[in-house]
Amino acid sequence: MKMSQFAAKPLVWLVRAYQLVLSPMRPPTCRYYPSCSAYAVTALSRYGLFRGTWLTIRRLGRCHPWSPGGVDHVPPLPGEPDDGELIARHIPHETTT
Amino acid sequence: MGDFFNSLMHPIELLVAWIMYGFHQVFTTIGLDPASGAAWALSIIGLVIVMRAAMIPLFVKQINASRKMQLIQPELQKIQKKYKGKTDPESRQAMTQETMALYRSEGTNPFSSCLPILVQSPFFFGLFRVLNGLEKISTGENEPIGPITREVAGQAEGATLFGAQLSDTFLGADNTATYIVTIILIILMSATTFLTQRQLMTKNMPASALDNPFAKQQKLIMYIMPVVFAVSGVNFPIGVLLYWFTTNVWSMVQQFYVIRKMPAPGSAAEKALHARLAKRGKPIPGEAERKAAEEAEAAAAAERSSQRVQPKSKKRAKKQGGAGAAAKKQGGSGAAKKKGGSGAVAKKKPQTDS
Repeated sequence: MKMSQFAAKPLVWLVRAYQLVLSPMRPPTCRYYPSCSAYAVTALSRYGLFRGTWLTIRRLGRCHPWSPGGVDHVPPLPGEPDDGELIARHIPHETTT
Repeated sequence: MGDFFNSLMHPIELLVAWIMYGFHQVFTTIGLDPASGAAWALSIIGLVIVMRAAMIPLFVKQINASRKMQLIQPELQKIQKKYKGKTDPESRQAMTQETMALYRSEGTNPFSSCLPILVQSPFFFGLFRVLNGLEKISTGENEPIGPITREVAGQAEGATLFGAQLSDTFLGADNTATYIVTIILIILMSATTFLTQRQLMTKNMPASALDNPFAKQQKLIMYIMPVVFAVSGVNFPIGVLLYWFTTNVWSMVQQFYVIRKMPAPGSAAEKALHARLAKRGKPIPGEAERKAAEEAEAAAAAERSSQRVQPKSKKRAKKQGGAGAAAKKQGGSGAAKKKGGSGAVAKKKPQTDS
C-alpha cells in the first residue's frame, strides 16, 4: 500500500461512518451510480489522499439537481478493467451502493 | 487549518446570525418579549423555514421527475423482471447500474442529488457555532457576529424554553429542565425521522423492492437510529436540536405530500391514490392509455361478433357473393387498423363459427 493510500484511511472511515449512521436516516438522494459516498471510498482507496479527494470533490460538484446523473465510476487504474464492465458481467466487485 | 476553517465558516455564521436576528426583530414587533425563549426559539424555526423554502424549486423539480417516471415504467419493469428473485450482491449492483443508465438515457432521475445536503450542513454547523458562542460573545471573550452584539448575545443566551437555555447542552448543564427538554427533543427527532422512513418503506416502495437485502438493512437501521440521536443529541445545544427537529418535521410533511400526490409506481400509496381518484370520479394518470387500448380491443371483438350475428348458409353466401365479399373486405381492413392483440381475437372468432 502506498503512503498516500494509507493517509487516506481516516477519510475512508469517516465516509463509511456516514454511510452507516447518517445516510440511512435520509431518503436516497444521489443521482449517480455508484453514489457519491461509494465513489469517495473507491477513489480514496484507489488513488490515495490527494487524487482521491480531488476526484471526490469533482464528483460532488457534478451531483447537482441539473445534472442528468447515471452511471459514473471512478476511473480505473492503467491496465485495469472499468468498474462498470465488471458489474455488467456480474464479476464480484468492491464498490458498494 | 483552523484559521482557514474559521474564515470559511464566518460568512455562513454571519448569514445565520442575520436571518435569526431578522426574525427576532419581526417577533418582537409583533409583541413578543425580546428576551423570551419563545422569540428566540421561533427565530430558529424561522431560519429552518427560510432555508427549506429556498429549496422548494428543487422539490418541484423532483416532483416533475417522478411524473416522468410513470412514462418509463415499462422499461423499469423489464429490468426488474430480469433480476427478479436474484439477491446476490453482484446482481443487485448490475440491476442498480442498469436502472441508473436507463434514467440517464431517458433524461429523468427520481433522486434530488447530493448538493442540497452539502449546502445545508454548513448552516447547521453555523447555527451550532453561533449558539455555542453566545456565552463568550456576551462576556466579551469572543467578537460579536454581525447583528449579534454583546447585548443581543447576552439576551439570547439568557432566553429559556420551558426553563432550559437555548445554548445549553445536556452534558454541559446541571438543571433538570435542560435534561427534560433535551430528552423530549431527542424523542421527537427520532419519532419524526422514524415516521418519515417508515412511510417511505411501507407506502412508497413497490412490493418487489421490499424483499431485497438493502431494504432489510434499512429496516434494522431504522431501529438503531434513536440511539444515534441520543448519543449525538446530548452534545448539542437545545437550539440546534430544535433546528434539527423542525427540519425533520418539514421533510416529513414534504414527503407526505409527495407520496400522496406522486406515489412510486407499483406501491401501496399508488393503489390508494387510484382508489381515491376513482371514488371522486377523476381520471387516473396512465389509466387513460390502458383503457383506450382495452376499448380498442373490445371494439374490435364487438365488430367481429356483430359480423358473426348473420351467419349465412353456403348457398346464400354464393347467391350474394359480390356484396358479401365487399363487406368482408371492409371488416378486414377495420380490424387491421387495430393493435396486434385484436388480430389474435379476430383469428379466434371464425373458428368458433365453423
